[in-house]
Amino acid sequence: MVSTLEKIRILGENGKYDICASTSSSRSESAPNLFGNTPNWIGSTISAGVCHSYAPDGRCVSLFKVLFTNKCIYDCKYCFNNVCKKRVSFTPEEYARTFMKLYSMNVLEGLFISSGICGDADETTKQMLEAVKLIRFKYNFRGYIHFKCLPGTSYYLLKEAVQLADRISVNLEAPTKEILEEIAEQKNYNTDIITRQRWLKEIRNKYNAKAKKIIYEKHDNQNSAEIEPQQNFSENYLSFECGTDRASQKINSEKGEWADEWGITRRRTGYKKIRWDGAPILNSGQTTQMVLGAGSETDYDILKRLDWEYREIDLRRGYFSAFTPIKGTPLERKKATPLEREHRLYQTDWLLRLYHVPIKEIKEILTMDENLPKGDPKLHLARNYFGDNGKIDPNKASYEELLRVPGIGLTSARRIIQLRQDNYIIKSRSQLHSIGVILKRADPFLRINGHIQTTIDAFKAIQVIQ
Amino acid sequence: MIEKSKKTKNSRLFGFSKEEMLINLPRHSQCSPNLLFKVQNTSESILKNNGSQFARKINQMLHEIFRELERNRQFTRTNLNNRGVLYGKITLSHQNENELLKFFHDRFPNCFICLYNTFKNETITMNEQGRFQKFQVSLDEIVKKISLNRPITPYFEDISMNNEEIFQEFYSSQFIASRENRKYFKKMIPKYAMEMPGMKGGVENRFRNNLLDKYIKTTK
Repeated sequence: MVSTLEKIRILGENGKYDICASTSSSRSESAPNLFGNTPNWIGSTISAGVCHSYAPDGRCVSLFKVLFTNKCIYDCKYCFNNVCKKRVSFTPEEYARTFMKLYSMNVLEGLFISSGICGDADETTKQMLEAVKLIRFKYNFRGYIHFKCLPGTSYYLLKEAVQLADRISVNLEAPTKEILEEIAEQKNYNTDIITRQRWLKEIRNKYNAKAKKIIYEKHDNQNSAEIEPQQNFSENYLSFECGTDRASQKINSEKGEWADEWGITRRRTGYKKIRWDGAPILNSGQTTQMVLGAGSETDYDILKRLDWEYREIDLRRGYFSAFTPIKGTPLERKKATPLEREHRLYQTDWLLRLYHVPIKEIKEILTMDENLPKGDPKLHLARNYFGDNGKIDPNKASYEELLRVPGIGLTSARRIIQLRQDNYIIKSRSQLHSIGVILKRADPFLRINGHIQTTIDAFKAIQVIQ
Repeated sequence: MIEKSKKTKNSRLFGFSKEEMLINLPRHSQCSPNLLFKVQNTSESILKNNGSQFARKINQMLHEIFRELERNRQFTRTNLNNRGVLYGKITLSHQNENELLKFFHDRFPNCFICLYNTFKNETITMNEQGRFQKFQVSLDEIVKKISLNRPITPYFEDISMNNEEIFQEFYSSQFIASRENRKYFKKMIPKYAMEMPGMKGGVENRFRNNLLDKYIKTTK
């Protein structure tokens, strides 16, 4: 008989390679109460976002990231599970209780539930869902839950998972079918993974359309009568009791925006106009994870796949995990992927997702072998975009142009535009500094009040003339 | 439902408004009526600009208040007994007790919350209805007294007991050796933990001949 402590040690070690957001706050105060109106609830996602403890690798440990079981029918070449001698599983009761114990200590912010595939994906998912249901309805937990969907899970189980979790993810592991075959032969890229992602998108949109309809109706009738508290919350957790803002997403046809079949406004590129759409169900959306360096993928393959996922699957974000060889696995002799590659990909992903830099432009800065060059990708893009002598005036540049300048982020660009609307003119570098611009990066691309940062060559030329 | 924080959402980015200053400053342990009067009679533009010494002092005091509150929210370790009493130890020098209790009340609305302030040697409590009380009694005594009047609840019995061992096991299992980054880890340790009474450089005084590095798990 394996004790709970030992299970935590074994399954925690197996689960630590899964990547997820370290902090999480998903629902807002105006979001509906999905899990009934019992007064005995525990936990909150509204006041979340605090980190509690850091592992010696500097990562924040704020979610209960322990596998449900390490028994697995797959033998992926990179996976830690391959070398694990002891196979153990939690029972749903045990898992739920252990998590709640830790939550009551104020050491955790939420749950990240993942698992190996024991027998059948559906069987394991059922067990995982049972644990989540216990947490939600026995212990009345209202905090953050990230549910890892196993490849090959059935549609009806995904429907259930969408209703219970704040975030769901399906691991892509590789950007293409061929590369996945290199590292995990048994998984079918299209049917096991991509189809599941499409289903999740469909279920989320369908449920949210239904939920919003109920919310709007109740919101409209709110003045006339107070809504009765729900009695049988566990059976009826898809009915809502309070209203949210009826956010209307305006379509700006000049910018090439359009609405899809679900009424979601999209940019010209196909990305969602508003990423955090305030949906009552599965608020934190869908994410994915890829292993870097285990197969023969290039950075361009990964970015191309991510771009597709943002357009077609409405992915909230992607995670990367640099490959580390594990002794005893078929890839033990393969070189570890440098963490810098992971970092550069995260930077480029940020540019794709938030700055909306087209993938075509990113392709132009790639090296011959289609990998990202050394150094900050935004700096490479800026050099390409502005040319050698191109400098912009922060008082005249558009928002999109400002975003192209390294050292100017989303917030500082917005502040500059706001100040301009208030007829405030930026006259010195110190003013930009107080706005939040990082001048050592931005200086080479700016012309402030007619002044530019000189180059070493120009400086030398002036000295020669003098 | 927890009251909204008195600090507005973007106050950290754009500085505190004069109104926020006047609301929050009285919570500082060194705040005096004279100081409040001076703030009241100073224009907002001067107070928001950190150029003057007075404004710097005021902003620093406000940051001290919120920093302390945030640290206590993050690093207070609580215990839950089988009668639904949630208790733990805190270190608050400013008057943040109410805010901190509300944070825990928001997470555990069906529990009686008792927090012992080691700085002021007093116990603060909040019941299920959100009633705030202060006692000059030790934590154990208060927890014992309150627990006597409350029935044993199977719901709490299920998740109560000392869970420190579970957390230690879980915490140590999460470390990825190949990603060890001692410098970053040391950066992430809150200064609060380093500066605690009886500590020097993150190590207890009685072990002062040892450096913190000795206690960080190494792989090499």
